[in-house]
Amino acid sequence: MADLAEKLSPLHELAMPRSGSDKIVLSERLCDSLVQVQAWPDTVEEVEKRIRATRGKLTIMASGPGRWLVEDDKEGLENKLRRKIGVKLGAITGLTHGRVVVSVSGEKATWLLASGIAIDFDLLAFPVGTTQASHHHEIGLTIHRTGQASFDLYVFTSLVRSFWHWLEKASGEVGYSVI
Amino acid sequence: MSAFRLNLRDGVGTNLTDKTIRFSFDGKSFYGQQGDSLASALLANGVSIVGRSFKYHRPRGVFTAGSEEPNALVTLHNGGRREPNIRATEVELYEGLIARSQNRWPSVNFDLMAVNQLAGKAFSAGFYYKTFMGPARKGHRATQFWWFCEQFIRRAAGLGKGTTIPDPDHYARMNAFCDILIVGTGAAGLSAAQRAAKSGARIIVCEESARAGGALNGSPDFIDGEPARDWCADAVAELAEMENVTLLTRTTVQSYFDDNTFLAVERVTDHLAHKDKSIPRQRAWNIRAKSAVIATGALERPIVFAGNDRPGVMLADAARSYAVEYGTAPGRAVAVFTNNDTGWLAARDMAKAGVIVTAIVDVRTDVEDSIRALGDECRASVHTGWAISSAKGLRGVRAIVIAKYNELTGELGDESKTIACDCVAVSGGWSPAFHLTSQQGGKPVWDAELQAFLPGEPLQSWHGAGAMAGRFGLVQAFQSGEEAALKALADIGQAPSKRSAKVGPGPSIEGDEIDYAPAPVFEINSGGKSFVDLQHDVTAEDVRLAHREGFVSVEHLKRYTTLGMATDQGKTSNITGLAIMAAASNKAIADTGTTRFRPPYTPVAMGVIAGEKYGHLAAERLTAMHDIHLEMGANMYANGPWLRPESYNLPGETVEQAYIRETKTVRAGVGIVDVSTLGKIDVQGPDAAEFLNRVYSNGFAKLPVGKARYGLMLREDGFLFDDGTTWRLEEHRYLMTTTTAGAGRVMEHLEYYRDFVWPDMKVALASVSDEWAGIAVAGPKSRHLLKACVKDCDVSDKGLPFMGVVDGVVDGIAVKIARLSFSGELAYEVYCGAHYGAALWQALMKAGRKYDVVPYGLEALSTLRIEKGHVAGPELNGRTTPHDLGLSGMVSSKKEFVGSVLLRRETFSKGDRLQLVAVKSLDGQRIRGGSHLVAGSKEEPGRSQGHTTSTCFSPSPELGCYISLALLEGGFKRHGEKLYAANPVRDAHVAVEVLSHYMVDPDGGRMRG
Repeated sequence: MADLAEKLSPLHELAMPRSGSDKIVLSERLCDSLVQVQAWPDTVEEVEKRIRATRGKLTIMASGPGRWLVEDDKEGLENKLRRKIGVKLGAITGLTHGRVVVSVSGEKATWLLASGIAIDFDLLAFPVGTTQASHHHEIGLTIHRTGQASFDLYVFTSLVRSFWHWLEKASGEVGYSVI
Repeated sequence: MSAFRLNLRDGVGTNLTDKTIRFSFDGKSFYGQQGDSLASALLANGVSIVGRSFKYHRPRGVFTAGSEEPNALVTLHNGGRREPNIRATEVELYEGLIARSQNRWPSVNFDLMAVNQLAGKAFSAGFYYKTFMGPARKGHRATQFWWFCEQFIRRAAGLGKGTTIPDPDHYARMNAFCDILIVGTGAAGLSAAQRAAKSGARIIVCEESARAGGALNGSPDFIDGEPARDWCADAVAELAEMENVTLLTRTTVQSYFDDNTFLAVERVTDHLAHKDKSIPRQRAWNIRAKSAVIATGALERPIVFAGNDRPGVMLADAARSYAVEYGTAPGRAVAVFTNNDTGWLAARDMAKAGVIVTAIVDVRTDVEDSIRALGDECRASVHTGWAISSAKGLRGVRAIVIAKYNELTGELGDESKTIACDCVAVSGGWSPAFHLTSQQGGKPVWDAELQAFLPGEPLQSWHGAGAMAGRFGLVQAFQSGEEAALKALADIGQAPSKRSAKVGPGPSIEGDEIDYAPAPVFEINSGGKSFVDLQHDVTAEDVRLAHREGFVSVEHLKRYTTLGMATDQGKTSNITGLAIMAAASNKAIADTGTTRFRPPYTPVAMGVIAGEKYGHLAAERLTAMHDIHLEMGANMYANGPWLRPESYNLPGETVEQAYIRETKTVRAGVGIVDVSTLGKIDVQGPDAAEFLNRVYSNGFAKLPVGKARYGLMLREDGFLFDDGTTWRLEEHRYLMTTTTAGAGRVMEHLEYYRDFVWPDMKVALASVSDEWAGIAVAGPKSRHLLKACVKDCDVSDKGLPFMGVVDGVVDGIAVKIARLSFSGELAYEVYCGAHYGAALWQALMKAGRKYDVVPYGLEALSTLRIEKGHVAGPELNGRTTPHDLGLSGMVSSKKEFVGSVLLRRETFSKGDRLQLVAVKSLDGQRIRGGSHLVAGSKEEPGRSQGHTTSTCFSPSPELGCYISLALLEGGFKRHGEKLYAANPVRDAHVAVEVLSHYMVDPDGGRMRG
């Protein structure tokens, strides 16, 4: 599908690579597959088992009770999971287009994020590989910590441009680059 | 530099560097030195009058050296950065600083408004209440006399003036979490920080000043064999190096909220001459601390005496600070007036710095020999058992008159002396600065020995240390700091072992050992004008007058006299005022009570409260086609958080001309419109069908797969809540659409019912509003357009009937197509993944070129649905029912649903309710939204019988005039009546005829065609 048209990022030229300080490094990407899985109260364990048994380079993020956000670097995850997890076990919702991933890294990454997001970014409170849901003002965010000083932020597509503007403005104090 | 600058050397001018700084005050250029505050630089230049008082316009000079300053309020900067009421004592001097005095005309040295002093007695406590009581002016809450006087009063009394020019600076926020917050970096704060930091706990240390160390920076004492300031510098440097410590200077902890949350304001660039635009001016820190050590020290308070507001009268510790830390003599000849030992130390330190101390006057007769000896060190005349009865001088102190004083009776003797001096350094004792803990509701406790309130029992996890907790002196400060740190560590679960829990001996201290307890003397009542609250011109007599007039509660006293209000919140006046009130009412201070402090601790710029939202009020939501709309010349319109095209104006077209053209084209040909903003909710699960059947008023249980249905959602009270179509995509999977504005609240409504009312239902809900881009294709040629570009599905009437839903492909893009119509024309909604939205738009425009397709905006979208009589937000206003809008057919009688019980209320069936109709203009005038429908003329319109909701110009051949949907009493039976649409605010009174709201294609033939 979609062999003629190309996906267009809502950030478009805003996120073009730009050299600058490496204290904060920003980048964006569109997901190939992003799916929300919701288990029923009595199927949580089974659903999680089936997600983890799914082939692919999956990033599995717990986003609520019996709920996960799952990303794959290939298209087709929604149908794959729908086959593995039928309606008796849970619900599969495609969100590939509903979010844009903004990556933030660098020695000042946590400083930058803490300036707008009211969660504790200390490694003990927010270990590498874990996920937290929060807000930057009106903008809901799912934040996945990919390293000590690197984060993937899953931002609502319609709001990502406003969020990017804030990132750039807030980064201005220490400098940033875009890759 | 003037003679007020001392000979700078080791221990004199500890805050200063050699660099010369030029600044201006009231338009005149001055020079100071790097490290000066504006106040110290003005004093060094011999500027003694820095402002005029609030009410009487009396000349006022610098009174303190910190944020408690009541007098030296100045206006800084020009243009958008102009900022009034800034304490000169807190302003760090930088090259080019512009400052002006306030509340004076024409100048601070010659202020014509000082004539107010002549009417001083008239301006006593309660002046406004007494003067302006009387019958209120008709239609107002104040008297006629007040309305006459107000303009003059407002001009005469006040502080500085702000600016209406936008602030060019930006402000930032920081969210910080820590184990222990330490407020203050004096000896107690540093001791606590050192102890807590060693444990590895996450520590944030906040210091209000530019330099950490508090009183240690000017202390003559030695710590571990080093001068206190050197020891302090080492300790601070060590803390700053530690990874688990965040040390913030120029950061005032302003507020202490619930859950141990603090607001601190960091002044990031206020002290810089050149401000980098990328750096915020100030940063608000939201600090969530598991525990806190409050080591905010104590504030010196004055003794009240006649003429105590003359420029040159200042607090003793401030005078000492100017001499020692700023290398500035507070006067050419300084007299010290005290009721405690610390005044003597201040005299000694000033003299050592090179200041001439002419006299030390102490109300006490019983003064330790070691303290008396300090008088000899100063070579000052010593007067124990004496008090100042008045300060003389007009524009500043020229002399003091002292008299014998009876400490027990508070009476002055007949014997008096006059001492020439131009500065009086006063110490009336110390008041612990427990403002933060008071904000939390902790009730202060009176300590009769210290003659001060102490913070009382904590209501949250905080521990006081040092002078704030009544532990005065360096030894006590170090000990109490460590004790507080240990308690804070215990709060966070790091209870130390028995061995390490012991408080160590602390560093060795070589310094003065004195008694900090003052004599209980707050006022020398000699009959002259004696000021308690310098900022609000409240005198001791005002306090006594309030008592005589029956104000016994300290809270009432505050409000009646305004004692302790305004920018300094009475930091130097509250206790003194309280003591005078207690004496007047013959009560103990402890029984008189005290007021509670409110946040913030010091005034805070509005910008830092608004934070990054300043100039960026709310995030904008953009659809996938946003850039294309701009390229096509769309006027973008803020529709809630969304930016949507209002119309696509051709060159020279107005918005009205554009939407009329777009509407006509849709009715005759085909147009496309971006409908991505509609709320979209994914509803799945084995119980999804039953769930929808319960939340919609019409039946959904039997909706076939591949079909959509329009549904009405009601609130529990039977009123309409939202509407939209829901598409059954699979047996257990639905796509619900909502109104754009209702998306969020519908999601919350559904989640509430799923989670709390029917928790056993297996239903998953997910917002997919951003997942799908949506484009409506409308008009008689819409099917032709789709046929030209859609593959893999049949879009014929048979293949895709009205309300049908199919999957297809457009230009390689997977799409879902539903045959729905908001416009009343043959129409479709085409959805695709949002990242393909722009490509789909272009593909549809390309396919429609041969059918002369046009894009249309919100105005045309609205016009089409008004003509058709379709309801939207203005009609779904929270006060209408399905019956009111002619949608009774959408209310199932075969099932119960949310709102069904209360919808059956008798009142909802009454025929005189506001019911949906349309009106058309009979005289060619435009009908304004929100117009009232009345029967009478413009002059005598009569009562409102309803109102218009959605208005437009209809270009349809059937109408060709301005029309509006409206809600009219008993409207269903009033078609054909003539009324007026009255809008007196816009001077409109339009003759209208009432019509059925189905104005175009009432039988639905076009959309079903």
